[in-house]
Amino acid sequence: MTAGKTARLLTFVLSFALLLVACGPPVQKSEFFGKLEPPPGQTLRYITGSEPESLDPQMSSGQPEARLDIALYEGLVEYHPKTMEPIPGVAESWKVNGDATEFVFFLRKNARFSNGEPITARDFAYTIRRGLKPELASRVAFLAWEIKNAEAYSNGGSFVRDPKTGRFVLASEAAGSGGAADAEAPAPVGGEDAAPDTEFHRRMHEPDRLFVPSDEKDREKALKANPKLAALVEGKELVPVTADDVGVEAVDDYTLRITLRQPAPYFMGLVQHQFFRVVHEPTVEKYGVNWTKPGNIVTSGTHMLAEHKPYNQLVVVKNPHYWDADKVRLEKIIFIPLDDQTTMMNLYKSGEVDATYNHTVPASWLKAGLRHAADYMDMPENGSQYWQINTTQPPMDDKRVRKAFAMALDRDALEKFRAVSKANNTFVPKGILYGYQSPKGYDFDIEGAKKLLAEAGYKDGSGQFDPKKFPANTIEVIYNTSESNRQVAEFVQAQWKQNLGVTIPLRAIEWKTFVNVRVKLEYKGFAGGAGWSGDYMDPYTYLGLFATEGGDNGTGWFDQKFVRMLVAANREPDQAKRYALLSKAEEYLLEEAPIIPLLKPATSWMKKPYVKGMYPNAGTLHAWKYVYIEHDRAKWDRGMPDMTTQELAEVKE
Amino acid sequence: MKFRFVLRRLLVTVPMVLVVITLTWALIRLAPGNFYDSERKLPPAVEKNIRAKYGLDEPWYVQYARVMRNIMSLDFGNSLRYETETVNDVLRRTLPVSFAVGTCAYLLALLVGTTLGTVAALKQNSKFDYAAMGFSMLGISMPNFVLGPILVLIFSLTLYWLPPARWGGFPSKSLVLPVVTLSAIYMAYIARLTRAGMLEVLRSDYIRTARAKGLTERQVVLRHALRGGLLPVVSFTGPALAILITGTVVVERIYALPGLGTYFINANLNRDEPLILGIVAFTSILVLVFNLLVDVAYGFIDPRIRY
Repeated sequence: MTAGKTARLLTFVLSFALLLVACGPPVQKSEFFGKLEPPPGQTLRYITGSEPESLDPQMSSGQPEARLDIALYEGLVEYHPKTMEPIPGVAESWKVNGDATEFVFFLRKNARFSNGEPITARDFAYTIRRGLKPELASRVAFLAWEIKNAEAYSNGGSFVRDPKTGRFVLASEAAGSGGAADAEAPAPVGGEDAAPDTEFHRRMHEPDRLFVPSDEKDREKALKANPKLAALVEGKELVPVTADDVGVEAVDDYTLRITLRQPAPYFMGLVQHQFFRVVHEPTVEKYGVNWTKPGNIVTSGTHMLAEHKPYNQLVVVKNPHYWDADKVRLEKIIFIPLDDQTTMMNLYKSGEVDATYNHTVPASWLKAGLRHAADYMDMPENGSQYWQINTTQPPMDDKRVRKAFAMALDRDALEKFRAVSKANNTFVPKGILYGYQSPKGYDFDIEGAKKLLAEAGYKDGSGQFDPKKFPANTIEVIYNTSESNRQVAEFVQAQWKQNLGVTIPLRAIEWKTFVNVRVKLEYKGFAGGAGWSGDYMDPYTYLGLFATEGGDNGTGWFDQKFVRMLVAANREPDQAKRYALLSKAEEYLLEEAPIIPLLKPATSWMKKPYVKGMYPNAGTLHAWKYVYIEHDRAKWDRGMPDMTTQELAEVKE
Repeated sequence: MKFRFVLRRLLVTVPMVLVVITLTWALIRLAPGNFYDSERKLPPAVEKNIRAKYGLDEPWYVQYARVMRNIMSLDFGNSLRYETETVNDVLRRTLPVSFAVGTCAYLLALLVGTTLGTVAALKQNSKFDYAAMGFSMLGISMPNFVLGPILVLIFSLTLYWLPPARWGGFPSKSLVLPVVTLSAIYMAYIARLTRAGMLEVLRSDYIRTARAKGLTERQVVLRHALRGGLLPVVSFTGPALAILITGTVVVERIYALPGLGTYFINANLNRDEPLILGIVAFTSILVLVFNLLVDVAYGFIDPRIRY
């Protein structure tokens, strides 16, 4: 053998060996995936997603931040580890009035910040007002807009007052001019006596005042567009809305009263959001934007910040001043920011991390056997993946056409293909919200779809649907560039081709462009790829998307009948009846078909069996108070924790 | 003479960086979307508050002037996405990471590459030569996003010897895999460059003269041949080192290293204008300076070059 041949052979053998190693699927030999050595003591190493934008709970909108904020800050209420329903936080209990326009929270007296200072109702009032401040420019301020006058304050609005009589112009006087003022003023239902009456309280119960933009240019624009409004403002003086007008009141140190502008039974779900988690006023005011830096920060949650190295790790340690510190078991949580799925799974397998966040297991790994691992967490999620339809352009302006496309789809096949999501034929994900009866939703019905399309006029001489008559090339499916979106888009395209004989072209668009195109309705046909994760555990978090024309609607479908159905449901104090009304509304929405529901995501994450008290809930938000490391092998989890009961793993007495 | 050359080159650097920054700034503005965009459409009032807070509602020339002022004073302002951080903080924190990984990788590549290349040239057409060149071919053709996962699979997930990712400080075990992954392709290039350079030099007259003088083979190679044979490697070093030090996006991502490359890619995705501009300015200055250093180094190594 010559030297040349040897070298060639060597190269060949080597590359082949490498190829074999590289392409082999992760083989499942044991019940669990990878190393099983719990870290010493009570330390959790957790991958939480992208680097947090901000540690300021009023400034951050994402889930990675939400998980950090649960450790750092406590709210009035906390998420139940399994059902995600509100459980007591700083508030020991709360009372809601008859029409869900007033919420009174009774705070515990032993709640403390991480510097030992007491947490009072005043701190919560400050926190909420601060979040709404126009100068703070929080992206999530709108979460609190259900609070009386909050939207006006946060928008930099002004009330309109008659200088002669001193009387404020009411929103109802400008009714018909659009916006919230359309709804009739709710009749008081009673139950407002949970806390003593005050002057502020009476003011909050006056009818809604009219507000206009304080900014001169914006105001001129608004007045020009609405002559009725212009006439009302003419000759009046403007009174800027201030933080003191916002309907949040510290009745005493331990009683907080929040008054809403309209009935919002889902408000308790909003209060769980990090936006409402309490911050320490002196610290915020002293350090400004830098108040969250290590050394400056004062927290209110189960843990406090010890170290923050961006894109590397964020370490929190137990807060000794936390009111329930005896029950908190994790001494330390190391949050690791990461975006790359393969890297996460590598770290998990090699035992460098103990748990990951949702949607972290690549579909190909699941298909290669990982889905049978006893440490794989797979539950349906509070989210809905659907395609939007631009209903303003033909041929999609015909609801029969839209419905036909929604019906000509085998969602079960899609579920099998995707592996990380579950089929969903309604808008509100089925089977996640306790007590909500979903409408029937779209069946997989090719003949029915063809019939609808024929009715819409795309038929041959014999009255049968003729795919050649359908102008498929005038529409398209746009989706934002990502591997999973491409897979789904191609799958749906193939289904429609197979079932209807219609081929809709696909086009991938970069995310930020996609968002713009969709909002401005600059697409023809379908916008796919984006999903919606529920802000709270209530059908309204989905159905409310179509209560406005702009925002995340993205379809051009805006129907007064639907809006009235939602308003009526939210006026209903009885939860079961309210859910029934919302279900009716959802049924109507599906009949109108501005969207095509496809899937609901599965939580899909990994957790070592020695991590206990951490449940695959529908939002992958964990109250860290209940999480601990179990060193006794006999007590380790085998498979997913039982989610059918509300009981939690043994709680230390 | 040399001093004037350096000064002239340094003076050219300033307008070049400004041109690069202007182009980048224009491109960011052309790219759709904003740093505050997310899945959800913001209410117009909230968007207006944000635009006012960050001065995005001012006319473009005011914004451009602000950018230029920042660049000239080498203070790039605060990141838009990570409000509490200044761009200079980010550079100060990420640079050591990228620098450590980059220089280690390059030193390793230099050490192994020149040795392999020199020996291969001295033993031209031998088994060793073919094996070395075979390996370097493999190194050049295998992208690091393939090599990295293979190394991780073997050393972290099968043998459990080394951590599969994350930064553990300098020096630490976690450096090994990224450094090897990163250096592979440079190692291969340097080996080939050295071999070619050495082959050419070994045939030249002055080497024959050296041999004729009766110098030992060791002296001939180390003192005379290497100086000329390594010239191609020197010109390769400048840009390569600049790229390595300013962060290598792929390797930093595979190994989750908090380096400049990671920040750069995320800054782009987040449309974080000050951060993008800061990193671009820094990188372009570094590339220009390194090229200058290489040109100066030529003068020391190669007696034929005069300025």
